[in-house]
Amino acid sequence: MAKKNLGKALKDFWYGKPHTAEEGGRRLGELYEDKTGLLKHREWRGVKDTFYYMYMIWGYNYLHMVTDILKFSNNPIDFVKGTWRYRWMGQTYLPVIHWFERGLQGMRGEALYASAWHYRAMVSASIHQICTFFNADTRLHGGKENDAYRHTIYVNETTCGTLFYPWKDAGYQYVSMEMIPYFVTCHVNSHTVLNYIDAVQSLGLPGDPCPMCQAESGLFVLDDVPDASPFVITCNEACDASVSTHTLQDWFADKPLFALPIPMQFDDPLVKKYCMNEIEECWKFVEEQTGTKFSWESMVKYLERQNKLQRDEWEKWEVASKTDYYPINGVAQALFRIYSTQYGIQGDFWEEASEKVKKIMYRCVEKKINPFPKTRHRVIAWSCAPLYFSNWCTWAYNCWGLNTIINMDSLMFDMEIRTDSYEHMLEDMATYHMWAPMRRMAVGGMHHIFELWDYMERFNCDMVAMYDQLQCKGMQGVHGLFEDEFRKRNIKAFWIPHALPDCRTVSRAEIRRQINDYMTTVMHEEPLDPSLLDFDDSMTW
Amino acid sequence: MKDLKHLIYFENLLQEANNELVQQGKKEGLRAIGYTCYFMPEVLLDLPGCFSVRLRAPRCTSPDIATYYLSGRVCHYARSLLERALEGGYNFLDAQMGTETCTATCRFQEHLQQKHLDSVEDMRIIDNDDFFCEFTDIPFKNTENSYQHFETQLRAHVLEPLHEHFGVDVSDEAIVKTVEEHNEVCRLINEIGDYRKLDNPTITGYEFHVIQLVSLVCPKHLILPYLRETAEEMKTREPDLKKNFRCKVVLAGSENDDPDFTKLIESCGALVVCDRFCYGAVESRVPIVLEEGKSPLRCIAEHYLKTSNCPRFMPQDEMRARKQRLADLAKEYKADGVILASNKFCEYWSYERVIDTFILKRDFGLPVCSIEKEYINSASGQLRTRFQAFVESVEIKHIQEGK
Amino acid sequence: MNKLCKKLLKLLGVLFLANAALFVVFFFDLDGKLMFNVVEPFLKKHYDNMERRDVLKTPYEVDKFPKYKY
Repeated sequence: MAKKNLGKALKDFWYGKPHTAEEGGRRLGELYEDKTGLLKHREWRGVKDTFYYMYMIWGYNYLHMVTDILKFSNNPIDFVKGTWRYRWMGQTYLPVIHWFERGLQGMRGEALYASAWHYRAMVSASIHQICTFFNADTRLHGGKENDAYRHTIYVNETTCGTLFYPWKDAGYQYVSMEMIPYFVTCHVNSHTVLNYIDAVQSLGLPGDPCPMCQAESGLFVLDDVPDASPFVITCNEACDASVSTHTLQDWFADKPLFALPIPMQFDDPLVKKYCMNEIEECWKFVEEQTGTKFSWESMVKYLERQNKLQRDEWEKWEVASKTDYYPINGVAQALFRIYSTQYGIQGDFWEEASEKVKKIMYRCVEKKINPFPKTRHRVIAWSCAPLYFSNWCTWAYNCWGLNTIINMDSLMFDMEIRTDSYEHMLEDMATYHMWAPMRRMAVGGMHHIFELWDYMERFNCDMVAMYDQLQCKGMQGVHGLFEDEFRKRNIKAFWIPHALPDCRTVSRAEIRRQINDYMTTVMHEEPLDPSLLDFDDSMTW
Repeated sequence: MKDLKHLIYFENLLQEANNELVQQGKKEGLRAIGYTCYFMPEVLLDLPGCFSVRLRAPRCTSPDIATYYLSGRVCHYARSLLERALEGGYNFLDAQMGTETCTATCRFQEHLQQKHLDSVEDMRIIDNDDFFCEFTDIPFKNTENSYQHFETQLRAHVLEPLHEHFGVDVSDEAIVKTVEEHNEVCRLINEIGDYRKLDNPTITGYEFHVIQLVSLVCPKHLILPYLRETAEEMKTREPDLKKNFRCKVVLAGSENDDPDFTKLIESCGALVVCDRFCYGAVESRVPIVLEEGKSPLRCIAEHYLKTSNCPRFMPQDEMRARKQRLADLAKEYKADGVILASNKFCEYWSYERVIDTFILKRDFGLPVCSIEKEYINSASGQLRTRFQAFVESVEIKHIQEGK
Repeated sequence: MNKLCKKLLKLLGVLFLANAALFVVFFFDLDGKLMFNVVEPFLKKHYDNMERRDVLKTPYEVDKFPKYKY
């Protein structure tokens, strides 16, 4: 008996404990400290993976968080000053590694290695954006409008960055005013965003509009948006609340502002011309504000790199949809895709990560390595995810074997942009612009939101995780039809209620409870790791 | 004041979407065309052979089935419309001219639409074989590109379908003739509404709200005689000797087709002298000017984009000018303050209301009462308290200013 | 040679100790605990007490900018 125990202990030491309770496996839920979600100790993943994690993820990323600053910042002191000035920066930068931890928990082997590269790219790209802010921010430079300020193009929220490639080679950087300060930071540390939501509500705004837009407005109310560009370009994102926030932003930013609308009925072929004209007007505005002409060469150069990235993604999806060898977990897949399409080609971080991931992926294919061997259900996640619990898919795999293969966010900008002529480019750019995040499927006619069934088939999924953003009027407005279709088609689907960045509305524990209830009462399944069923992480980042 | 001759009749017309005049119009063989938003030019839906009906769901307090479909977290107006449709209340409609101008009403209209998709079963809510629902893309700006786009959209998604489905005459001549009739309605409504500008107005906000609403929900040719008669009647209407209001207000905000809401405000002593909200007359009753050298359709497209004060408009100059225009209205109508009312869950007006509340007070010195309301206001006690307090504050301001 | 070996051994020893210390920090999530219990509360206090511009005083002039219509 003792020999057997010793054998198992040695095996556990060398390979890490097995996944399931039946195998006498790991109990990941017991690693957490009560409430804070901090770890009593990190998981022992076996010798190889523990040290891979320590050196190639934990240490590597800490190191690169410093070297990236040195690489992208004009003056590292500005970075320190910015950290001291902006809450979203200071409270978020240092816990980044915990964000990795939440997303990569329980991952082993190729799943761990590949998913971590996606995270690495996101961090690097975010540091690039942060440096773009701080290099130009007048508040960090004694009120002076320096050269970086004059070379920064400010866009609102998820305005398609691709539009500004023509100015890249002339040294212009574009940066979304809100993406880093609230969206990205919320993934890392969900505490900071609550300040912004509360701030805008303190002006009398009701609690029911989209909390994402509330957070964006709150940034302005608390004067926490860097003053990093002489002008602003706003976009409706095809969402009522997004449009509404512009007035507040215009008031508080008080800069020349160009409104770049996305037509709502984007399936109508007649809207394309209108959209193309709007884009060209936007370019005229940029030319007027910067005094720099549109460069076709610059546009083509970056579009071709972007197209290559898109083709890489299709290659990855091909493996994800047809085999069990795709090594990226649900959260790494979704976030990488959102971040990369939002930021566009601003450095080589996306391409580098993509190459590394493809290499790992093809190794899995060649050696028939299943990176998620405990998969019970292949899940497609639909609609938009909770920012404060984007790692729910990691938890769901560890606890229930629910492997999120693909998600709606990933499928948004699913196209290449032609570069053979200006006309083709403009035409495709209009489509790309109209397929903005939360837009192609969520609003603009019901056709696309119900493409879910096609994607389920394409990605060989047998279950749907249906995000239920409680304050998204567009998605709430199709709630009943989805219920009807799920029933009619006998599709296994569970709802994930949430309020995007606001973890107070629906807690993480509540989300887990809803999934647990579904898996036990409807699916009659037993958890793989029962320790993850219920734990208190109410105060966690 | 002496009661208006047709007021009770008008009130009755507002009890149902399928009211007496709508039924009469249908009996005449006209097609009933529904719409919800100002951006769908009603004048085009009034072309010969059809008539426009701006949808309302009067007395809908419990939209249970609609809440299943749209959830309880979208605006009560959209849910009420869907509920009324599910109850069969809009079966008289021959078409719905949809706009995605706000998400909630868009979703309502998408439920009506026969999409013919494999991916989602059509509900066939409107029990009328001829019924169809067509969406028009509405621009967010008032620029040359937007005018052009809007004109193209209106031709493709309003005129052509009306012609194809119902043989409606959509020629320029027909449009010009309809604009004339439309402008007469505008002229009459404005004539009646202008009495609100008097020091002691000879019409209440409630009465005007009722009159404006009937002009939106009934066939124009059938309501016109009543409007003409009311306009005549107004010429000799004497005000009460003693003013029965304590202050005058502009009512601005989101969708509002509930005259009882105006009545509630007036019962607290604030006379509503101007109605700048969806379904109000400020924008919708500006006569359409047909300019030489431009097609009538182009003029209509420009008119609706130029006259709108909707917070949906995105250009910087528009966002800023909206505040000024609201202040100008208060001046024009000699209002003492502004009541800003947004429907719960209305994203556009939730923000606009907050911003207007600050700017109107700070930059224009206007007292503002900012409230959030439901589509049908059953909990009127709380609102009454708010309005009473506001009226008192305006009176105190007057005393302090020595007025 | 002996000296070099000693130096090398010393270096290896230092590296080992540094790695062991790093491992302790890594394994017991000491970095996370430091951030959560010390750094974040400190920064939070700083940001909460920070003086901020009252944005509501920002003018909102109607004609400040030209109409960007092309």
